[in-house]
Amino acid sequence: MRDAVVIGGGPSGLAAAIGLREKGLDVLLIEREEELGGILNQCIHDGFGTKILKKALSGPEFAGYLMEKALSLGVEAITETYVKSVEDRGEYKEIITISPKGIEEIRARAIVYALGARERTPFEIKIGGTRPAGVYTAGMVQRLLNLYGILPGKRVLIVGGGDVGMIVARHLYLEGAESILVVFPEEFFAGLPRNVQQCILDFGIPYRPRTTVKEIVGRDRVKGAILARVDERWNPIPGTEEFYPCDTIVFSVGLIPYASNLEEIGARIDPRTRGPEVNEFFETTVRGTFAVGNLVQIFDYVDDAVETAYIASEGVRKYLEDERRLERPVRISPGELVGPIAPQRVEWDDSRDVIVFFRPRIEAENVKIQVKSPNGKILKEYFRRYVRPSTMERIEIPRDILEGLDEVIVDVSRH
Amino acid sequence: MSRVIEVICIRCPKGCKLRVEVDNKEISVTGHGCPLGESYGRDEALNPKRMVMSTVRIIGAKYPRLPVRTSEPVPKDKIKDVIDALRGIVVSAPVKRGQVIVRNVANLGVDVISERDMERV
Repeated sequence: MRDAVVIGGGPSGLAAAIGLREKGLDVLLIEREEELGGILNQCIHDGFGTKILKKALSGPEFAGYLMEKALSLGVEAITETYVKSVEDRGEYKEIITISPKGIEEIRARAIVYALGARERTPFEIKIGGTRPAGVYTAGMVQRLLNLYGILPGKRVLIVGGGDVGMIVARHLYLEGAESILVVFPEEFFAGLPRNVQQCILDFGIPYRPRTTVKEIVGRDRVKGAILARVDERWNPIPGTEEFYPCDTIVFSVGLIPYASNLEEIGARIDPRTRGPEVNEFFETTVRGTFAVGNLVQIFDYVDDAVETAYIASEGVRKYLEDERRLERPVRISPGELVGPIAPQRVEWDDSRDVIVFFRPRIEAENVKIQVKSPNGKILKEYFRRYVRPSTMERIEIPRDILEGLDEVIVDVSRH
Repeated sequence: MSRVIEVICIRCPKGCKLRVEVDNKEISVTGHGCPLGESYGRDEALNPKRMVMSTVRIIGAKYPRLPVRTSEPVPKDKIKDVIDALRGIVVSAPVKRGQVIVRNVANLGVDVISERDMERV
């Protein structure tokens, strides 16, 4: 019997395994692919580790850093292994895996899920037209280009103005695409300024804000797309349709936590984050079952995803040692101007600050993030010079302000 | 001689749109929201540099491409030179992270290094 099994060998899973080994626990890391590192292996651009290591590594370098650390601590990892099912047997969890060695059963007292996220597909955002070859998600393009050296097309339309879309635009430009156009429904790129400058403006890559793809055109291969201007609610404006010729369309329209496996075992899913609801040590509503990284909600920085994994490893230790929980948990609820937020509750009798991640619903300067009691009393304030929905906020809530409450509300105040 | 550049500040998520005027040795930055922006605007006007990332062909490894980057940032107008210099480069597995793949790439005084270990298979 293992102390813990970590499912998923990307950055969050590696960090969870590292955290667990540092606490002297017996941990097995299970990865479906041939190698560890997850999505980092195809993210060859830099900017990883700026918070934790204070330097900007590339994805493979950051993965290498985590793998070396895991290896030096004696983390045991198995690859090419798929977790088929997990059953809760009370004292332990029974994990059935499939690998080239066959079907196997593994027992562990706790499980950390680090499954990451999947890409939203074009078919989830109501795109009309045909379904020819030449339609890709941004992640697939990254994989083809960076692992296999395959340029998926010459004249490329990129849909989505987030970080991934911009990074893919730069790669396509540098690796030989003849024409690139980036379209997005927002007024301006939603991603980091750094990427706007260094991926788009540096190379003069054309872009059109307030624009969407209404239809894909082409029978066997993409011939183009019908573009349309959109209004502030992102609805296409009739009469603005225009044919744009291209041979490839790349969709970079968001990530969604890979939470279906957790849903199957009975973990409650938060409709805002679309990931499992977790407590302050990233334990789901199923005891002894933890969730970390992009599975919980989509982070901007790998550093933050890694932090959730370290916090969860401490949660696993607390679970295994059967430490005390609060008699009444404290709910952490989003206020009117707060979108997705996690953790969603405080459940352990602990003295450490509660680390909470959320996205504001507004773009504003000089605001205060407030933690309030249900009757509106301000318990704690944090000043921010600038907030916006595409930048995740992180706050540390001191435990003592939660005493005697069964709910606190996190909100953004303009004044 | 005077020139004007427009650049988005990357020092914080706000992304101020900076306008930098360079007139001989006089530099004036406008559009910034804080001192960080002003210094960023100056750097971008005088000596803009970027890290360059790409891939090269690798033989005998799990994948046909090896991710590589410049060991230091290079002048922004030399990015394409680095990419061009990498065309046609072929390496053999195994390769270690940090290993030099191209020394003194495009005569810029920086090396191109491997971003990862790649075993021989």
